[in-house]
Amino acid sequence: MNHLSMTRRYFFSRTSASLGVPALAGLLKNDLGAAESGTLTGLPHFAPKAKRVIYLFQSGGPSQLDMFDWKPALSGLRGKELPDSVRQGQRLTGMTATQTSFPVAPTIYKFAQHGNSGAWVSELLPKLAKMADDLTFIKSMHTNAINHDPAVTFFQTGFILAGRPSIGSWLAYGLGSENKDLPAFVVMISQGTGNPADQPLYDRLWGSGFLPTRYQGVKFRSIGDPVLHIKNPEGIGREDRRHFIDELSQLNQIRLDEFGDPEIATRVAQYEMAFRMQSSVPDLIDVSKEPERVFEMYGSESRRPGSFAANCLLARRLAERGVRFIQLFHRGWDQHNKLPKQLPGQCRDMDQACSALITDLKERGLLEDTLVVWGGEFGRTVYCQGKLTEDDYGRDHHPRCFTMWMAGGGIKPGVTVGETDDFSYNIVNEPVEVHDLHATILHCLGVDHSKLTFKFQGRHFRLTDIHGKVVKKVLA
Amino acid sequence: MRNLRLLLPLIAAVAPAAVEFNRDIRPILSDKCFSCHGPDDKNRMAKLRLDTEAGARAAVVPGDANKSVLYQRITHQTRGLRMPPVASGNTLTEREIGLLRDWIDEGARWQGHWSFLKPVRMAPPKVSNPAWPRNAIDHFILARLDREGLKPSPEADRRTLIRRLSFDLTGLPPTPAEVDAFLNDSSPNAYEKVVDRLLQAQRFGERMAVRWLDAARYADTNGYQTDAERSMWRWRDWVIDAFNRNMPFDRFTVEQLAGDLLPNATRDQILATGFNRNHRGNGEGGSIPEEFLVEYSVDRVDTTSTVWMGLTLACSRCHDHKYDPFSQKDFYRFFGFFNNIPEKGKVFKYGNSPPLIPAPTASQEAELKVIEGRLAKADDRFERMYKERKAAQVEWERSLDRSRPLDWAPSFAMTAHYAFDGQTPGIAREGSPAFDSGKLGQAAVFDGKRYVEAGNIGQYGMLDKFALAAWVKPSQPSGAIVTRAQDIEEQSGYGLYLHQGKLQVNMIVRWLDDCLRVETVDPVKLNEWTHVAMTYDGSRTADGIRVYLNGEPAKLKYIVDDLNQDFRSKEPLRIGAGNGMRFHGSIDDVRVYSDALTSAEAAALAVSTPVNELVGLESAKRTRAQADKVEWCFLERFAPQPIRTAWSELHGLRKQREKFLDGLPTVMVMQERPQVRETFVLNRGQYDQPGEKVTRGIPAALPPLPRDASLDRLGLARWLVSPDHPLTARVTVNRFWQMLFGTGIVKTVEDFGSQGEWPVHPELLDWLATEFVRTGWDVKAMMKTMVTSAAYRQSSKATPELLQKDPENRLLARGSRFRLAPEMVRDQALSASGLLVEKLGGPSVKPYQPAGLWKELSGGADYQRDHGENLYRRSMYTYWKRASPPPGLMTFDSAGRETCTVRENRTNTPLQALTLMNDETYLEASRKMAERMMREGGATVDSRLAYGFSLAVSRHPKDNEARVLKASFDRNLARFQREDEPARKLLAQGESKPDPALNAKELAAYASVASLILNLDEAITKE
Repeated sequence: MNHLSMTRRYFFSRTSASLGVPALAGLLKNDLGAAESGTLTGLPHFAPKAKRVIYLFQSGGPSQLDMFDWKPALSGLRGKELPDSVRQGQRLTGMTATQTSFPVAPTIYKFAQHGNSGAWVSELLPKLAKMADDLTFIKSMHTNAINHDPAVTFFQTGFILAGRPSIGSWLAYGLGSENKDLPAFVVMISQGTGNPADQPLYDRLWGSGFLPTRYQGVKFRSIGDPVLHIKNPEGIGREDRRHFIDELSQLNQIRLDEFGDPEIATRVAQYEMAFRMQSSVPDLIDVSKEPERVFEMYGSESRRPGSFAANCLLARRLAERGVRFIQLFHRGWDQHNKLPKQLPGQCRDMDQACSALITDLKERGLLEDTLVVWGGEFGRTVYCQGKLTEDDYGRDHHPRCFTMWMAGGGIKPGVTVGETDDFSYNIVNEPVEVHDLHATILHCLGVDHSKLTFKFQGRHFRLTDIHGKVVKKVLA
Repeated sequence: MRNLRLLLPLIAAVAPAAVEFNRDIRPILSDKCFSCHGPDDKNRMAKLRLDTEAGARAAVVPGDANKSVLYQRITHQTRGLRMPPVASGNTLTEREIGLLRDWIDEGARWQGHWSFLKPVRMAPPKVSNPAWPRNAIDHFILARLDREGLKPSPEADRRTLIRRLSFDLTGLPPTPAEVDAFLNDSSPNAYEKVVDRLLQAQRFGERMAVRWLDAARYADTNGYQTDAERSMWRWRDWVIDAFNRNMPFDRFTVEQLAGDLLPNATRDQILATGFNRNHRGNGEGGSIPEEFLVEYSVDRVDTTSTVWMGLTLACSRCHDHKYDPFSQKDFYRFFGFFNNIPEKGKVFKYGNSPPLIPAPTASQEAELKVIEGRLAKADDRFERMYKERKAAQVEWERSLDRSRPLDWAPSFAMTAHYAFDGQTPGIAREGSPAFDSGKLGQAAVFDGKRYVEAGNIGQYGMLDKFALAAWVKPSQPSGAIVTRAQDIEEQSGYGLYLHQGKLQVNMIVRWLDDCLRVETVDPVKLNEWTHVAMTYDGSRTADGIRVYLNGEPAKLKYIVDDLNQDFRSKEPLRIGAGNGMRFHGSIDDVRVYSDALTSAEAAALAVSTPVNELVGLESAKRTRAQADKVEWCFLERFAPQPIRTAWSELHGLRKQREKFLDGLPTVMVMQERPQVRETFVLNRGQYDQPGEKVTRGIPAALPPLPRDASLDRLGLARWLVSPDHPLTARVTVNRFWQMLFGTGIVKTVEDFGSQGEWPVHPELLDWLATEFVRTGWDVKAMMKTMVTSAAYRQSSKATPELLQKDPENRLLARGSRFRLAPEMVRDQALSASGLLVEKLGGPSVKPYQPAGLWKELSGGADYQRDHGENLYRRSMYTYWKRASPPPGLMTFDSAGRETCTVRENRTNTPLQALTLMNDETYLEASRKMAERMMREGGATVDSRLAYGFSLAVSRHPKDNEARVLKASFDRNLARFQREDEPARKLLAQGESKPDPALNAKELAAYASVASLILNLDEAITKE
């Protein structure tokens, strides 16, 4: 019997538990030919509107009150106590729970209506405001967690504690990748100018939990190697590496002939993929051939590797190459105090880059099948944390309502979902919970959230656990 | 699961014809039916339950499938009536329907869930080839192979065997000398000798400990948000030591779960309970303590039930278990064993949180003994001088010129003293200084505006001991006395204040959620002199603060006790100002100490009468504090030299001992609160939704606690290791099996419930479990039994036939062949290169890691890698930061250590290839391996290449392999000879320096081949 053909068949059949690529399921495709998609049987469940997602995670908890959720009635209540009828005894974080006073802090920023949709956007976001008709706002997001770590973990994995797969991993597992030599799930991180001592991130946020590790997000870094160890050491050129891998394959083949372990054939293939990544990744991050106007559009910051703007540009390049789930984490949104000092710059970093990304995707015809999601892990309180002074205020974490926006594939533009009360404290209409958002994102990709499962510890786990309703109103 | 399906038809085809409930039927009912017709009361449909025999009888007519509702419904013609319903997403296969039909037709014989029944020890079965088995294991394996029509593989060659054994028992490859010794040992028990040698090695404990650390979610950081350091390595070393001493597994269990509750518990036994403090701890500002108290206990329940029982008890946290017979109430009754720890829901952000104990290492223990011995001697020497020194003191007092001023105050560790006798230190602010008559000489007068900036004095933080003292005569009830804090209300820093008459101590990072404030219950009188003192022990708790008014300990009220981060500030030390407050009245004799004061010292400090006057008092009339002050003055300054020396020695040694104790590593441990915390069922698992109150107890589906058992963790631990417990021994031997064979006899090592896998060799599992108990839970003996079996010793070569019939090798007709565990991949490279530094235990180390990984996540400090020896320790000692675990290990599928992980996971990815090819760790190892090749590998290129090959795979290359190695060497040598740069650069990898005696170009060529060898599939595989 010909070992190689046997093992190739085995290899392609995707039955080996150990056969794997970290979020690189799609890499197999090239070796496998068009038949093998890296997609689970039966997926997508229905025709997808979007093929990929760019999720612009705003870490720290952006203030809905100063950006999107316009509450004109508050200006007359400045410094007045938040009425108990509004607070309704809801829990507060340990940071303000012992505060004796909860003075209302209206935003100091001007709001105006924009576009045909008449969306209210604050003066801090002039560029996004111009794109209001491309965006769909959810003003009635709410979450279960009140502190950063559990709240970000909840948004990323559908559960507040560590141990579950992240949303990108679920999609890599379910849908695979469309690119033969880039990961299905890529993560990039940036730090805004807002709160530099901001909340940290954790590898678990793009981890694969109990899913095989090949589905975990691959972090593209701005310091050192873009993917760990992707560069050959000095003294070893690309030619040398090619020879090395050829020699290695010869030796592994000898062992394969003797032992017949298909795992050896897999190993040989993984070295080939590694070799391909060594050129595809640098090619991806090399923006030197981007025309001048692109940098102008994204802003001068986009020339600085590791900035949010540079990551937005890379997100577009990843989208062009068919990467399934592209997630940016942008830190700096935790305005407990000194909000007027921190927020304008933080918004500026984000405003231009986000609007450029959407414009860019649109111009390239990518927006129609790329779902863009923007939002943080919770919102911020209407009452002031610390001292309310003439030109200074801060806001604590507020899980009970906050704003997110979406755009692109599968989304009906220019819509606003949900409504909050006059204090942006409680939701009065169309609440959307985190599981609902997840269900909606999956829906846009043609996935029924209740059917994408993985059996672990005897249970068929889902990203949405036992919850989740697709938010129909945002769908195109 | 997919693979299992491949296997199932094969098993079914040759297995005995009768359907067996536990093997064939329960898995179907559980997976497809239990979620609506199972143990969960609240979600049960049609009042039908199929998880109990009585329940199933309602739908099953034994012997007649066609009359059974169950069968009718699963085969119903109308889709809407057919079970399982469409909405469930479940469907039954033809085969499953057939099995259910056959089962009913054959009488619907019911069995209790196999893993809840006590293991039954069966005699090893007869086999076709009685010459093959080496021990009982082989009878079970071969009997099954006989049934399947398969034959075992021949024994592997000795080189393979010793490499396999060395990794399995020590986690490291054999040395060439060890390989040769085994090859040349012609004694009949040569193999057993190797096994015994490896079991005796200290490396055995390290090897066994790694998987235990995965299960125990051991790490070096707290795991939430800031993810700062904690210190549990003393517990980790306890585990290594326990395996090395071959501590019986029952004792190993009891000490880790309840060592603190054992009678006369030793320090080691208490230390062992660190097991259940390894879970993550949340110190995030603003987190809600009650919420996380619940999470910690849930984690303990989850971990304990997974590790010892293979049960997914945590699934019944929010509702009754969907598949196993555990109610939500059962969960909280079990939870009650673990929620009675005197702990806080919001842990310290940095370091260990109480309860904790100092945990000296053996050498520290020895050092402490030496100090304590010296202290005892000094104490004795001083006490023996009692008469002599009393006499000398009387004489001194008698002869003292009482008209000359003489005073004394504790001066040990005093960093500043401001007498305000007409002068102020530093800078006077908001007006020129004013003085008035003071308690001692003059005092500074404060008018609510002016204050003193004393400069950079008293730069203390949360872990420092310090003390402040002063005489005050306030004219208004509020004001700042001594502070080192921002001069804005409730901003960061520390200070001693008057607040509405009460004396207040503040240590603030962020007011309200990261601060500490205590105040005296009794007020300080206005317009009177009062001596005020505060002393702090660096413990971060209000309990660590003492306040004295006129030398008397003051009763304190804790306003906030939630200090979490350092309050160190850049502000100067201020007197009369701080946090936006000012002092009204007089302040005198301010003292700042960089150590805590004892109560006696604080009392003596409050004695304002100078020593020259005190000696006028008859000694019987002196207060304790007055007497102390006189005596200490005498001992420190006026006693005859030998007495003074003895006193200062004693004092010095006391401080030395204190300092030594402060510097000892600590470990978080379990402890019981004196008043047992009430436990409630939490509705939907929510911390703030308590329901029915429950008492501690064991799920009814499991054997009960013995009548005389204590209803606490100790009773629980002893119950787990009682010989009749159906799960503990099975679950444990199954994990050992997984370590050696790659997959458990029950593949779902974490789940022995009804959704878990039916054991592939049930009788073998039971035999091993009963053997484990019979031998007194002897871990080394169990490992030895497994590795000396013929099944273990087989060659791992696979024939196409075997690959097809049993791709996952569950039946073991061949040896197991699988990739090395993550830590072994790196440890082998270190070992083969000679870089490995073997040292047992100690604080975790920071080997190479690409720069920036920590920083990009947090913006905070980056990973600071170690130098020298710490770069080359075994991987199990690598610092484990949960938010950013070591990439080199994670890439090879290490457990993340955030939650309990018992299943070994192996993938095969391009990132692994990139790591092995380009990570500094492996490039440096290649170079050091090349040096060994050149120095130890003989004179010819061929022999050196062969030697390098054998360092990694314990065998010599065959001709065709040697040819590839040689070609690679020649190619590399040629290119390095063409230019100088590449060789120089390649050799610069890593901190160690290349051997200058060796030709750099040749060395680079050998290093390139060494790298090739370390990248071989065989090199990272246990064959």
